[in-house]
Amino acid sequence: MVTGAKIEHPTQAAARSTPRSILLTLPILLWSLLMFSRSFSQPAPESKIAGVITAGFMVVLFFMMVKTSDTYRWRRSFFVALGLLFPVGFIHEVMVMRGSMGIPIEEMIAGRTPFCYLPIPMLILPAALYKTVVFPGSILPGGGMSGGGMAAMAGIWLAMTIVIGKGWCSYACFFGGIEEGIASVPKRAKLRKINPRWRYVPWAVLLAMVLLSLALFEPAYCMWLCPFKAVSEYVAARNPVGLIQNGIFITLFAGLVLVLPLLTKKRTQCAFLCPFGAFQSLFNKTSVFDVKIDRERCKPCSLCQTACPTMSLTTESIAQGETLMSCMKCGACIDACPRDAAVWHIKGTEVSMKPERARLMFLYAAWAMATMFGGSIIAQGLATMLHWAL
Amino acid sequence: MVNSSAMAGSLLLGEAFALGLASGPACVASCGPVLIPSLLAERAGLRLNARFLVTFLGTRLLGYLVFAFMVGEVGAMTSLPQSFRELAFGVVHLLLAIVLVWYAYSGSRSCVAGCGKALVRIGGAAKREIPGAMMLGFLTGVSLCPPFVAAGVRAAELGSVAAALFFFAAFFVGSSLWFVPFLGFGCIRRNEAVLTVARMAMVLIALYYGLLGVTILAGRKVYGYWG
Repeated sequence: MVTGAKIEHPTQAAARSTPRSILLTLPILLWSLLMFSRSFSQPAPESKIAGVITAGFMVVLFFMMVKTSDTYRWRRSFFVALGLLFPVGFIHEVMVMRGSMGIPIEEMIAGRTPFCYLPIPMLILPAALYKTVVFPGSILPGGGMSGGGMAAMAGIWLAMTIVIGKGWCSYACFFGGIEEGIASVPKRAKLRKINPRWRYVPWAVLLAMVLLSLALFEPAYCMWLCPFKAVSEYVAARNPVGLIQNGIFITLFAGLVLVLPLLTKKRTQCAFLCPFGAFQSLFNKTSVFDVKIDRERCKPCSLCQTACPTMSLTTESIAQGETLMSCMKCGACIDACPRDAAVWHIKGTEVSMKPERARLMFLYAAWAMATMFGGSIIAQGLATMLHWAL
Repeated sequence: MVNSSAMAGSLLLGEAFALGLASGPACVASCGPVLIPSLLAERAGLRLNARFLVTFLGTRLLGYLVFAFMVGEVGAMTSLPQSFRELAFGVVHLLLAIVLVWYAYSGSRSCVAGCGKALVRIGGAAKREIPGAMMLGFLTGVSLCPPFVAAGVRAAELGSVAAALFFFAAFFVGSSLWFVPFLGFGCIRRNEAVLTVARMAMVLIALYYGLLGVTILAGRKVYGYWG
């Protein structure tokens, strides 16, 4: 029980002994061994080494999360590694296959455009109304550069989304790590006053892109607004319109992924542009895990608000004991709270009821999926770097 | 005995209606980027939304009929010189972009004055303002969408202005049935978030149409992979 005079710090309150932490990490260790067993049996030494390093990395991070009861900084290490290594592996593969990061029209016509999860919300209405997938890729394995099809990606996305909701944006997205890494560089934000109306932009982008995709029969976001084209693959510009498209991609990447995170210490692309993130927010309603503010413990100090990378906490939401639906469950507010007022929570239970147990349950689900999905991407990026080095 | 010309007329109207009905989803898809955000940018209420839809669809019909007149009088739009078509579509898209931005701006302004009583109006002086839905409906009516082309080609074969007008009217009724569910938007509660998102979406869509208009006028294909 919290008395007014002395407040337990969360790390003091919940730090675990090493043997107990090892015991709690065992399931993730076994899962990692299972997930990377394919890498271990690869003939190429770089794949083996990358698999071992990645498996160890994921297990150590989980152990540290269990041992210290901090979530954010350990998750961030994984997430930044994912964000930085995804382009390494992807661009290398693209260059080997095509000799260029630009995707030519012939590849699109052949249905070999690699698919990521960002256009998923834009595919739903055309599929429902016309039974047509408005993306120049393949549904089944065999299409796409990596050999995986849209069905595999959509399946992974759906499985993760049902369980962790918008936690996808903190444990699986292979784009957000770049800006999270950059946002962590400065000690203090230079730009602190941000108009909260900017939070509406992702919803507007989602609405506009869904409608334009339906009208134009193309994934409009990929064609016009995706900043991450700058670090994955872009339109092979063969006319001025292609140049305009690429100009938009590069400008958005430079502004929202590089410059603004440095100035604001926020994930500005995620918070103020990404339509997939807005779409993903809807699934926070279906996920059983959320973050709550225990109003009895909270003495509004705004530390959680300052720490939140997506402005998902407001004075009003804190007063109501909740985060906004855009919460990515990254754990920043929980780790920042000196009074243990921000807590992990399982829907249908009391807010103050065993938040550490709720945290562990969430982390098992999120980390198992992060290891499977993000871990394989990290391993691929590492293998590429080792391939260059060895 | 049934008059053969009356029967032919009925068949023609039936054909136009069926074409409109079958093309409805494509019509909704084409008008969606304009209709849905502008409908959301209005205040809530079934009556107000019904008034918006009637205004939008009515002026869309007017746009259709203007187009039908051109089809009947000048000949099939598709046989017009390409440069004229590109000029017309480029200008229509630019106008659409301007009206969308204007509408988004007027929506935020009119809310201060007296929300919930009238449709969002655009224009200069107060007396000259017209509902934004009128302009948007008309511009979506005259801009070519795929089902519209299908109806236009068929209407052009009829050979008379009157027949083309009737054909388009029946086509309009058939396709408009698909817009009835949009009345449900009147039940969506409007708060600052919904109104702001709708207006922002209108500006984004306007940017797209603006770019489309400029590239058409500049003679470039906007679906930009071919030179």
